[in-house]
Parts: sequence; C-alpha cells; structure tokens
Amino acid sequence: MSDGIIRNYISREIIRDRAVALDNETPLLEEGILDSLALLRLVVFIQEQFGIVVEDVEIVPENFASVEAISRYIDSRGDRASRLGAT
Amino acid sequence: MIHLLTQLLTEAATRAPRRCAVLAPDRTLTYEQLDQHSDRLASTLRESGVGHGDRVGILAPKSDASVTAAYATLKRGACYVPLDPRSPDQRLSMIVVECGMRAVITDAANAERALALAAHAPELETVIVAGPQPGGEVVRSNGRTSTARGALAEPAPIDTDLAYILYTSGSTGSPKGVAISHRASLTFVRWAARCTALEPEDRVCSPAPLHFDLSVFDIFATCSAGACMVIVPDRLSMFPSRLGEWIERQRISVWYSVPSVLTLLANHGNLSALDLRRLRTVIFAGEVFPAKHLSLLMEQLPHARHLNWYGPTETNVCTSYEVPAGRGPLSGPVPLGRACTNMDVFAVADDGTPVTLPGDEGELLVRGSGLMHGYWRQPEKTRQALVDNPLQPAYAEPAYRTGDLVTLDEDRNFVFLGRRDGMIKTRGYRVELGEIETVLYGHPAIREAVVLPVPDELLGNRLRAVICCERDDEAAQEEVLEHCRARLPGYMVPDVIEFSDSLPRTSTGKVDRVRLSSVVASSS
Repeated sequence: MSDGIIRNYISREIIRDRAVALDNETPLLEEGILDSLALLRLVVFIQEQFGIVVEDVEIVPENFASVEAISRYIDSRGDRASRLGAT
Repeated sequence: MIHLLTQLLTEAATRAPRRCAVLAPDRTLTYEQLDQHSDRLASTLRESGVGHGDRVGILAPKSDASVTAAYATLKRGACYVPLDPRSPDQRLSMIVVECGMRAVITDAANAERALALAAHAPELETVIVAGPQPGGEVVRSNGRTSTARGALAEPAPIDTDLAYILYTSGSTGSPKGVAISHRASLTFVRWAARCTALEPEDRVCSPAPLHFDLSVFDIFATCSAGACMVIVPDRLSMFPSRLGEWIERQRISVWYSVPSVLTLLANHGNLSALDLRRLRTVIFAGEVFPAKHLSLLMEQLPHARHLNWYGPTETNVCTSYEVPAGRGPLSGPVPLGRACTNMDVFAVADDGTPVTLPGDEGELLVRGSGLMHGYWRQPEKTRQALVDNPLQPAYAEPAYRTGDLVTLDEDRNFVFLGRRDGMIKTRGYRVELGEIETVLYGHPAIREAVVLPVPDELLGNRLRAVICCERDDEAAQEEVLEHCRARLPGYMVPDVIEFSDSLPRTSTGKVDRVRLSSVVASSS
C-alpha cells in the first residue's frame, strides 16, 4: 500500500524526470537516485506521511535500497506500532 | 631532499614496505605494492607514448586503483586530471579536450565510458583499464608503441612541474582547471602532516572524491607519514549511524571532510554510543560549519582536536584554526584562523590599505609556494586571479585574490564574511552561479535566467533558478532539468526551478538579485 505513495514521491520530488522509469525494484542507491539530501527529505516525508518516527539506526542501506525495501520497512514499523498500541 | 610527490611513496616503500598504504573496502595495498604497481602502470603509460608534462585523466572513484593511477602518472612525469564518474559526458568531454589529454586510466566499471570519451577526442589515444594486472590493460591505443618522444632527452621531473589539474566551476559557463605543481602540493602536504602530527600508526580517512582538493591530504599527507589511507565504501557517508560504526570499527584516527557529513554524523550518527577514542583529529574544510552542529559534534568527541582549514583550490589550504575545546557551545562563525607554515595571508580593503585592526574588512589575498601555477590554458583568468602583490611594490610577486571578504577578530584570526562575486558553496563544492545561468541560457526556450543561493543548514546552499520561458508547464520544468543534468554535475543542477514573466532589474539594467532573493526568502 505504501509503495505507491513512496514511488510517487520519489518520482515527483526527487527524480523530477519523467524519462526515468521507477519501479519497486529500481536500485535507488546504486543508481544514484538517492543522495544524502534526498534521503533526509524522504525520511521527513515518511515520518509525516505515515506518522512514524524513523530512528537514526533505521536509516540504513537495507531499508532504502528500493521502493520495495522502503515499503517493507514502513509496514514493519506500522505493525510494531499497532502491536505496541494493542498491549 | 624530497621535492616531488612521488618521492613520498618511494621513501615510504623503502622505510616500511609491508605497512598498509591503502585500505580499500575489498583490497589492501602495502607501500611496496603501491610502489611496484604504480611503477608497472607508469611503464604502460610510457609504452603508450605518454611523456613528461602530458595530461592523464583518471576516470574512477577514489579507490586503490585510482590512487595507483595518480602515482603512476606522476612517476611518468605527467600530470593527472581527475574525471568525476558522476559528471555528465558533455562536461567530461569538455575537460578531456581542453586538457589535450593523452591518456585516460579507468576501472572496469567506467571503461566503456572512457572509450566513448576517447571517440570524440582525437588527442586521447590511450585508454588503460587499471587492474587486475598491476600494469593495467590497454584497451585503446594509437597502435604505435612509441618511445620516440621518450628517447629524445626527456627532462627529469622538477618541483615546478605540474602534478595535477583540478577542475572547478567557472563563471563564464565552462569549468576551469586549477593547475598545481609538485612544489605547491608539497607545501600543503608537509604542513598538513606536521599540523596533524601524522604518525605511521594513523589511519586517515576522507570521503572527498579525487577531483576535490581535500583528497590531496589523504592521498599524499598520509603517505608522507607512512600511515594508512582508509577508503570509505561508496555511499556509506549517506548513512550516518553506519558511518559512525564504520569509523569505530576501522579505528580511524584522523578524519577530513566537508562539514555537511559531520553535521549528519553529529545529529544522526549515535556517536555517544560508540567508542571513538581513537579518532584524535577531525578536520573540516570547504564551507562554513554552523556553530550549532559543530558544538554538538565536539560534545560527542570531547577527546578529539577539531581543525577548521580554509583555502580555495588555487591555494590548497592556506589558513587553519583549532577550535578550542571545553568552552561550551560555540557562538558566531568559526574563524578561518591564521596562515599555514610557509604561506602568507593578508587582507586588503577596497582603498588598497591592508586590514590590520579587528573589525576592518577587506579581500583576503594569499602568497607563497602553495599557490597554483595558473588556470589551464586560461591566461586571462589567471592574470585576474594571480595579481602582483599590492603590498610589495618593489618587485613583482604573485598573490592570489581569493574573492573572499574577511575581517580580523580580537585574537587576530581571519573571519569569513562573504563573497565578492557570484561564487557560492553547496555540498562543499564551489559553484559559480554564472556557469549554471550560462547553461540555462543555452536552452532554446529560455529567455532569461538567474540562479540564486538559498541558505541551507546542511548543504550550505540550495540552488534556486528563476527563468523566463516560452512555456511554464510541468513538462517544461522537466525539460529544463534534463537540459541541466546533461551538462552539469549533480551538485550544480538547480534544486528548485521557478517560472516568472520577467526578472526585476536594477537601475543599471542588471538582474536585481537582492530583490529576487528577498522574494525567495519571504515566499519560502
């Protein structure tokens, strides 16, 4: 669910170029799509959009390698948040 | 006595052949290996007809291979020119042609690109892929195994020969090459090694790429001490908590980078959870370090020295300031400090008088052996930058005009106030706004264009372009960005593009940047 929102954000705000195709598996780091500034902007966007706090130790390549990875990370945070909320 | 950069390596290899010279993520080179491999690669260059004074491009990220290539080029008596693999083809091609580059050394990942560049540059006869063989593999050659040039009495290298050319942004639309001699480089290297008291046990790291003059420190000053140069894995600097762990694990003792990387580390690196006692010296240069973030960094690294180094590429580092520890949060700008050994810096006010009292303002000038030779094949620009020292009328002596406005503080340290011209810093890189504007004007639909810096705590500045264009839809914006990306390195591509019907003008008809900036400031 989160993947569409993330893909859209990266396309419109970071890549800003329709000629560059972006799918869920596009390697964001190897392709140089995310640099340190873009990464920070993306983290801020994720926190605001999904209402989660991205911890410093979670800003790691595994969580930001692709739209798929970011989406998986957000979902895992959501699960954790709802579990914590339930107890 | 050492008078060439290459002698640093041969001495270190003789003194401590088995010590680690370069520690790359997947490879280690001892001093003996670095010396031998660069000898082999230098022979390949000679066999390819590269001679004394020729320019050799290095198209590769900072790696064991590119460090070997730099030493090989110098051993051949030639001068190396870093080509940033992240720059667009057009810009690289411009540099290759302007330099009259004879050969390019590259790595496997960039080999195809190097060949494509060579296809458009008649003088570029040789492309060598470094590794896996120490001598490299020649993938393009002129067919002649020419030693004809070399056989004719080729001069032995001397310290006024060029060692490297570093390309920086130029205001009139094309990059300019800052040509640095062995002597100028060694003036910095010797001072830097002493200033940081480098020892063979040190592990020195700088994430700055080869085309950035910060790399002179970790490549050559490290070697001068026989210490170990540690190369940061690609993209690790983006992930502050990982970078912090890596610095701890690699036992880095001396770090040199632009402030933005350290700002990220201070705010997101979880440094207090790490054991960073080995990190004894942290050096930053390239832009102003915001006091707030520097204080936060120093709180987390109470045992380390923190040095602010200043100097345009044309002078390498010319002043240094050690930030005093244990004085609580810093306020105000970090001073540029005072002149390095064997360099002289002084400020001259607009009326030609020297700045001698705290609070007086003037432009900073630099003289000394560390100055550049000049801008490559740009005599007019060189004359404007390297002027006759205005304070020494008795005889001609070059002084470099930095274009930086400074004042003196109560402790007689120079303090940076601003620029005289359209040069700004972003991500530690210097950028001439005029170069971006020239590229924008090159787009057929753009009638007028102006680029304004928007101050940003992390980046120094973001770039905001205001353009008057035939069209102003979203497609036009993408097209303009694409146009810029094809011609400029990423850090020079505007972060924001705005459309406007016309640009405000001053009474003299110039674009009113002040008014535009205030509009920018109030609207954001």
